Amino acid sequence: MQYRRNRHLQRLAGILEIPQDIVLDLPRITMLGNKQLLLENHKGIIEYTPSLVRIKLDQGELIICGKDLTLGNLQVEQILVEGTVEEVKYDT
Amino acid sequence: MIRNMSHYIHGTVKIKVSGPMPEKFINLCVMKNIFLWGLTKKNEGLFVCMSLSDFFSIRPIVRNSKNHIKVVRYYGFPFLINKIKKRKMMVIGLILFLCVLNTLVSYIWFIDIIGNKAIPAQQIRDLIAENGLRPGMLKSDIPVKNIENQVAFTLPEVAWVGIRFTGIHAVVEIVEKTISKPQDKEPADIVAVKDGVITEIIALSGQSAVKKGDTVKKGDVLIKGVSYEGAVVDSTTINPPQQKIRAKGIVKARVWYESYGESELLTTVHERTGRQNIGVVLRIGQQEFQLKKVAVKPDDLVEVDTFKKKLFWWRNHNIIVESTISTYYELDEKRVEIGIEEAKEQSKSRAFTSLQSLIPETAHVVSRNIEVLQMPEKNLVRVKVNVETVEDIGEFTSITIKNEVSAPPK
Repeated sequence: MQYRRNRHLQRLAGILEIPQDIVLDLPRITMLGNKQLLLENHKGIIEYTPSLVRIKLDQGELIICGKDLTLGNLQVEQILVEGTVEEVKYDT
Repeated sequence: MIRNMSHYIHGTVKIKVSGPMPEKFINLCVMKNIFLWGLTKKNEGLFVCMSLSDFFSIRPIVRNSKNHIKVVRYYGFPFLINKIKKRKMMVIGLILFLCVLNTLVSYIWFIDIIGNKAIPAQQIRDLIAENGLRPGMLKSDIPVKNIENQVAFTLPEVAWVGIRFTGIHAVVEIVEKTISKPQDKEPADIVAVKDGVITEIIALSGQSAVKKGDTVKKGDVLIKGVSYEGAVVDSTTINPPQQKIRAKGIVKARVWYESYGESELLTTVHERTGRQNIGVVLRIGQQEFQLKKVAVKPDDLVEVDTFKKKLFWWRNHNIIVESTISTYYELDEKRVEIGIEEAKEQSKSRAFTSLQSLIPETAHVVSRNIEVLQMPEKNLVRVKVNVETVEDIGEFTSITIKNEVSAPPK
């Protein structure tokens, strides 16, 4: 059911040329080299240590590995992860 | 930048969150729209920055998440105000200081007078003090324009006066008039200043008293400051009435100068060996203290350079504190022998230098004659120098009453 609805929405977005992250409620990740990672549209933090950040998404979670990671800017909409990012991984 | 400033203005609290689930605390904060920044995790726990107003509303969240919090650091404007409230006297002192400074600065403390050359500064000082510019006056109470006018009016030598305030100094700037010297119109003769033989005499006004080729002595009248009024009809028989005037003219004469110069063939020269010693004497009032003594034997050859240093306490301090530093240089005696030619050269230049002060710069040197004199002592070379010049020897001398009387004969 959910899957079919998504398919429809995706097609609609394709026809109307609307960005998919708005239609499908997807997270948007902006990376500045390996120094900063800005994640918009998240659902909260699962785990935070200086070497690992796990962030809950709409579907699954995002795992960020790195060194000296800090959370620079924490809001309902966005998370700014600073430090040295080595790995970004989706876990669905 | 702007965010940092707003953090500062609203006040920032850095807290340490310790407990089993710090992430839960973060999530709850995010849910409650509490803005967090600067999250770092260390061994002791999670450090979080938040604004002061948010800090007061996190108590339920902390309870809920079963964490402990501890304030690590706080900074910002609200804390600064708190601090100031605790130290009222400091603020009062600061305000008082500014007030006192402002008051003191609005008075004149010193008066500087610049630009005056002929007029004594004290006279100007007295004059402006009379008109209301004294040390200790309030700056705004000083009628600047009025004083300027008054000074310019009272002192005719002053061309312009400007008074301006620079801090606590009042600078009185004065520009003096350049009054041209009144030309000397007093009747005068032209008189010889030196002995010589006249080579040229041109009387522009007055009567020439000597001819070309005459030998004159110092003090002789060259051009008389008299003139005969009216047309010269017959000057042989009748002397027309005389009138005293200021003589004017050019009188050139041949003048001789003579000078001697001598030089020794064998001279002893003292030279510094390079070894030196420093003696220091400290003087306080009438007391003298030898800080460092230099032992000098009476037969030692030394040259002493002393130089005094005075310590200024205040200008009106009457105890003199002074240190005298004497540097003793050891000297070495040396005999220097020079040749006859060199000795002649030396004595010649010595003779010329002694002449130089006598011969005026405008003089035209006609001839130089150098003569080596035979001396009985072998060690000495003596040179005689004769210089002949042509120069203006006239000098104004005002006519005395005695000179002037010359009754017209009947």
